[in-house]
Amino acid sequence: MTTATPEPPAVARPPRRPPHHVRRQARTAAAFIAPFAVLFAGMYLAPIVYTVYQSLFKTHHDGLGLSAPTTVFAGLGNYVTALDDPAFRGSLLRVLLIGVVQVPVMLLLALALALLLDARRTLFKRFFRLAFFLPYALPGVIGAIMWSYLVAPGLSPITAAAHHIGLHLDLTSNTMLAPTIGNMLTWGWTGYNMLIIYSALQAIPAELSEAARMDGCSPLRIAWHIKVPMVRPALVLTTVFSVIGTAQLYNEPAILHNVAPNLSSDYTPIFAAYDQINNNNFNAAAAESVILAVLAFALSFGFLKFMQRRGETL
Amino acid sequence: MATAVAGCGSSGSSGSSGSSGTGASGSGPVKLDFWGWAPGYAQSVALWNKSHPDIQVTFDNTASGAKGGYTKMLTAVKAGNAPCLAQVGYETLPSFAAAGALQDITQYASADQSQFAAWTWNQVTIDGKTYGAPVDTAPMALLYRKDLFAKYGITKPPATWAEYAADAAKVHHADPTVYLGDFGNDAYNYAGLAWQAGAQWFGTGGDQWQVSIDSAANQKVAGFWQGLESQGLLKNDPSYDPSLYSDMAKGKILSDVNAVWDTPILASSVKTTSGDWAVAPMPVWDAANPQYGNDGGSATAVLNGCKDAKQAAEFALWMSTDPTSLTNLIKVTGIYPAATSGLDNPALTAPDPFYGGQTIFDVFKAEMPHINTNWQWGPTMTQASNDLGDGLGTVETGNAQLPAVLGTVQSKTVAEMKQQGLSVAGG
Repeated sequence: MTTATPEPPAVARPPRRPPHHVRRQARTAAAFIAPFAVLFAGMYLAPIVYTVYQSLFKTHHDGLGLSAPTTVFAGLGNYVTALDDPAFRGSLLRVLLIGVVQVPVMLLLALALALLLDARRTLFKRFFRLAFFLPYALPGVIGAIMWSYLVAPGLSPITAAAHHIGLHLDLTSNTMLAPTIGNMLTWGWTGYNMLIIYSALQAIPAELSEAARMDGCSPLRIAWHIKVPMVRPALVLTTVFSVIGTAQLYNEPAILHNVAPNLSSDYTPIFAAYDQINNNNFNAAAAESVILAVLAFALSFGFLKFMQRRGETL
Repeated sequence: MATAVAGCGSSGSSGSSGSSGTGASGSGPVKLDFWGWAPGYAQSVALWNKSHPDIQVTFDNTASGAKGGYTKMLTAVKAGNAPCLAQVGYETLPSFAAAGALQDITQYASADQSQFAAWTWNQVTIDGKTYGAPVDTAPMALLYRKDLFAKYGITKPPATWAEYAADAAKVHHADPTVYLGDFGNDAYNYAGLAWQAGAQWFGTGGDQWQVSIDSAANQKVAGFWQGLESQGLLKNDPSYDPSLYSDMAKGKILSDVNAVWDTPILASSVKTTSGDWAVAPMPVWDAANPQYGNDGGSATAVLNGCKDAKQAAEFALWMSTDPTSLTNLIKVTGIYPAATSGLDNPALTAPDPFYGGQTIFDVFKAEMPHINTNWQWGPTMTQASNDLGDGLGTVETGNAQLPAVLGTVQSKTVAEMKQQGLSVAGG
């Protein structure tokens, strides 16, 4: 990897050893890459390899198990146990459902806001751009704390208002937990996605819209036929980010748990893996982490590939 | 990086890798690290350091066990850099032993066995090996608002659970915003209620675990609390949550059934009501044959990998038995000592201004002979208490019924034990 970069000039002059200055360049490049490579290997690759390694073992107890356990090779045993565990499967399914509903809602909202900001006749553009983006500027945990007070039974002004018009609403009941979390995510991330889409809109050459307008195209049709297709790469990118973000769902439910004790300690896959660590079952935690990572990778990468293939046929 | 990975990989099978305790030989004092969370421990450590220049202990505050402290300790043992000493509750010691996280100090500690109440020594001795020194026991009592009990016409605190239920109805009917007690989500508080009713959760027979969380005795306790809960007679604030203390300070919750160590926590959480509280014995099932519950009690355990286990044991035993240390722990931590000599400590007879000048330890002292000392904890308490805590949370939010929750916790516990390869009956 480190030698790959300076190759082209060397190939251009095949028979002889590369001259001094090229080799010096290679050394310089290697020196620049080394800090990254070391950190990448140590902080990123090594933990992944170690996690996969750990997931292949299990601790073994005898009888009452009150003395120190031994570690034995388990093959894929931990994976079978994890996938066989209804609680872990439930956490995967729960997050998948939250993602399937929340990601499209958030991205449609982000797209709509970006198009409005991009429209010619929108007033106070700078103000709205900042206002929409502001929730993202707030640390996610702070936003989650704020929302947890807004939905907490006994404190929630929303519940109180609903009660006022004769509606019984508990935003932390078992059925409302997922929509409440979806709402927190949408509130926090719509502005961020809007900004990515908006900068893609800004990059569209003005002549395209102008030409369409001169042909009598309405702003709505310009948006639909010109702008949206042009920002497709931005939409794909934000979708991939959102899928990965949803798979890693942790902050919002963790904070919400303080006001909603019915939110179980294995609510999301990361909760479930952490639960295993609490139970001192590092091997099971490793297996569950790998499963989550593989699924998140398959979903985001699969979506990317699918969209690219569709892009080619268009 | 490479050494750290190798260090992690080798643990589990053997725990001989390094610890924070530096070598005893050579010059300079022995240095020991001590992880815990109880208020007051740091002062006892300071007292020790003053009188023991050769063995210097450093106390590090961690999150409480259930809030991540135990996870941190187990992870440190696995990584081979655990402290020598750790605060570990009796309920979690078997889980630590099953994880191979404890160090056998029988040879250094057995001579001191007679200094402790026999059953507390049994809590730190697992399978014939002693792993630490017992610090305290945790009898439970009714902490209540004396002034507001009088206001709502409760002339004497409920002595039985039947009276408790009647008083709960009385208070709530007098003012629908006021509750006699709170139904929280703390699994070990609930365990104390089961303990009182003789409803053991775990036992061993032969070489097998027996899990009886879903027994008839436990269902009786669950049925009682579900009954009050279904009638809406209890508040549903999470345990130890700011909302609970806010309601207590506002006079919306009049009492709490909790352990002796909660008395200083309550006092510092609702300071504005100081002097209005009092302590009465925990309500009982059978007034003719009173039995009380225990919620907690912990040990100073020696963790696996400690190179200075002898010195660590010496400190642990000192902290639990030395009169100056005990005086501090009684006053600041609110412990009820496990050391028999500690029961004569003058700090136990000091009037407590928060509880209207009552000598509150008298109540706990009177309860002690009536606490079941055969209670046994299981080897998967982190999982069991998590699942029960989850279950209590769904009950208090009206999403489940407590008797059914016990069944779920029972089956999850058996499943977890089987997953760990333990032999368990009826699984």
